[in-house]
Amino acid sequence: MSYIDKINNAYEYINNILPCRPQIGVVLGTGLGTLADHIENKVIIEYNSVPDFPVSTVEGHAGRFIFGDMEGKKVLAMQGRFHYYEGYSMKEVTLPIRVMKKLGIGMLILSNACGGLNKAFSAGDIMIIKDHINLIGDNPLIGANLSEFGPRFPDMSQTYDHELIELCKKIASRLNIKVHEGIYTAVSGPNYETKAELNMLIVAGSDAVGMSTVPEAIVARHCGIKILGLSCITDMAIPDALVPLSHEEVVRVAEMAKPKFASLVKEFIKEVNIHESL
Amino acid sequence: MLEKVNEALEFIKEKISLVPEQAVILGSGLGNFAESIVDKIYIPYSDIPHFPLSTVRGHAGRLVIGQLSGINIIAMQGRFHYYEGYDMKETVFPIWVMRLLGIEKLIVTNAAGGINTDYKPGELMLIKDHINFMGSNPLIGPNLSSMGTRFPDMSNAYSSRLRDLIKSISYKLNIPIREGVYASMTGPAYETPAEIKMLRIMGADAVGMSTVPEVIAANHAGMEVAGISCITNMAAGVLDKPLSHEEVIKTADEVKDKFIKLVISIINEI
Repeated sequence: MSYIDKINNAYEYINNILPCRPQIGVVLGTGLGTLADHIENKVIIEYNSVPDFPVSTVEGHAGRFIFGDMEGKKVLAMQGRFHYYEGYSMKEVTLPIRVMKKLGIGMLILSNACGGLNKAFSAGDIMIIKDHINLIGDNPLIGANLSEFGPRFPDMSQTYDHELIELCKKIASRLNIKVHEGIYTAVSGPNYETKAELNMLIVAGSDAVGMSTVPEAIVARHCGIKILGLSCITDMAIPDALVPLSHEEVVRVAEMAKPKFASLVKEFIKEVNIHESL
Repeated sequence: MLEKVNEALEFIKEKISLVPEQAVILGSGLGNFAESIVDKIYIPYSDIPHFPLSTVRGHAGRLVIGQLSGINIIAMQGRFHYYEGYDMKETVFPIWVMRLLGIEKLIVTNAAGGINTDYKPGELMLIKDHINFMGSNPLIGPNLSSMGTRFPDMSNAYSSRLRDLIKSISYKLNIPIREGVYASMTGPAYETPAEIKMLRIMGADAVGMSTVPEVIAANHAGMEVAGISCITNMAAGVLDKPLSHEEVIKTADEVKDKFIKLVISIINEI
C-alpha cells in the first residue's frame, strides 16, 4: 500500500467519526497529555482503531486523538505521538500531520518535554520554539515528493510562525507566566545525550534538546500549516552540572509545569484568530 | 554491487567508440554545458542496467559522451540525490561505473546556498573541502576492495593540484572564484536559519544537498576530484526572505555562461 493510500485511509476513518472540521491541531508532549482534560464534548479516537496508523509505545504517552471544543474553537489533540527512536520511519512519525492537513487543520501547536541547554533556563520553564536544528540524521520529506501537499524544496526560513510567537508571548506576559524563546534541537535518542554532545549542541546554538517535534514541524511547513512550538524544560542539561536523568524525573517536572502550560495553551487557543492565520 | 556496476559498464562500452578521459557532473541549471560537446551520443539513464532514475525538475537524466576541444569526456546530465529516496550506494553508482570506464579525473558541480555572508548569489565557489552532514555514507557496508581501501583518506578530497590550476585559470579568464567549504545536508527541505548558523559556526561557507557522497566514492576509487559550486541563493536567515527552487534555477541560468566557460577551460588544461 502506498503512503498516500495510508494517509487517505486514516483520514477517511477519522473524518467519518468527527462531527465537524477541526480548526486547530495540538500535539501533546510527554507529561502534557492532560491538557486534553480541558476539551469539552469529547470525541475520542484510539490510534489503534485507525487504519494504517502506527501505535505509540512510550511510557507517559497515551495514544489517541481527542476532538472537541476548547475556548470556542474546534480542537483535535494528539495524546501521544510517534517517535523516531521507537523504530518508526520518519514517514510514520509524521503521518498524523498529513492526516490533520487533510482534515482541514491550518494551525498546529506542537509541544514537547525537553532538556534545557541555556543557562538562563530552569527546570519547569516553558520555551517558545523560535527555530529548530534537525540533528536526527533523517528527514521526513526524503523520497518522492507528495506534490498535492507541498513543493519539492520547501522553505524553512520561518518554520515557527512569527505572529503566533508574538501572540503567545503577549498572553504569557498577561498571565504572568515566564516564557523563554529559543532554538530546539532534535536528536534521535533514545539515550540521553553525553556531556560532549551537549557541549557540541550548545556551540551549535541550541537552547534546548529533545527527541521529537522537528519531523512534525518540517512536514507541517511542507503542507502550509502554521506552527506554534512549545517546549517544557523538564531538566537542565548543562554539561558541567549534569546529574543522572530518568524518565520519571522528566514526567514529574512536566506534571508540575502542566497547570501553567494548560493556562497558556487554553488562552492562546481562545485568542488566536484562526481565520487570519489560515 | 560490483556485478551491477559491471553490467552497466558493459552496456555503456558497447555504445561508445571512444574512451572518455575526464568526467563532469552537471549540477542544477548547468545542463546546457552538454551543448558544447561535439560528436556526442546520449545514453538515457533509464536505458542503462541498474541505473536509478533522476526525478528532480531542472535535471535531465542521461550521460553525454563526446569530445570537447579534442578531449574525450563523459558528462552526467542529472544526478541522483539522497533526498529523492535513493540509498547512498545508488547516488554514487555512476561514479563506480565511470571509474571502471577508466576515468581518473572528475569535476563535480552543484548549486549551493551561500552561508558565508561575504558571498553573493551568482558567484562561483571552488570547493576546498566538505563537511558531510547527511547522516550516512556511501561506503557503509562491505568494502568494494577492487575500488579502494576500507578506510580511505579524505585529507585531499578536493585535489590541491587541481585547485591551484583552477585558481590560475579563473584569474586568466577574469572569472572570479571564491574558495570555501561545502556542507551537505539531506534536504529536501531547505535549512532553517538556526541550522545555517550552526553550519557557519562549524566552518561551512556553502550548503547543498549533493556532491559529498559522489566525492567520497570518487576519492575511495582513487579519482582526482575538483568541485565547483554556483552560489545560487543566500542560505536561510542571511537575507530576510524565503528560499525557492525557482530562484535557484534563475540564478544558475544567469551564471551558466561564465560557469561553462570556466569548466571548458579547466577540462582543456587538466
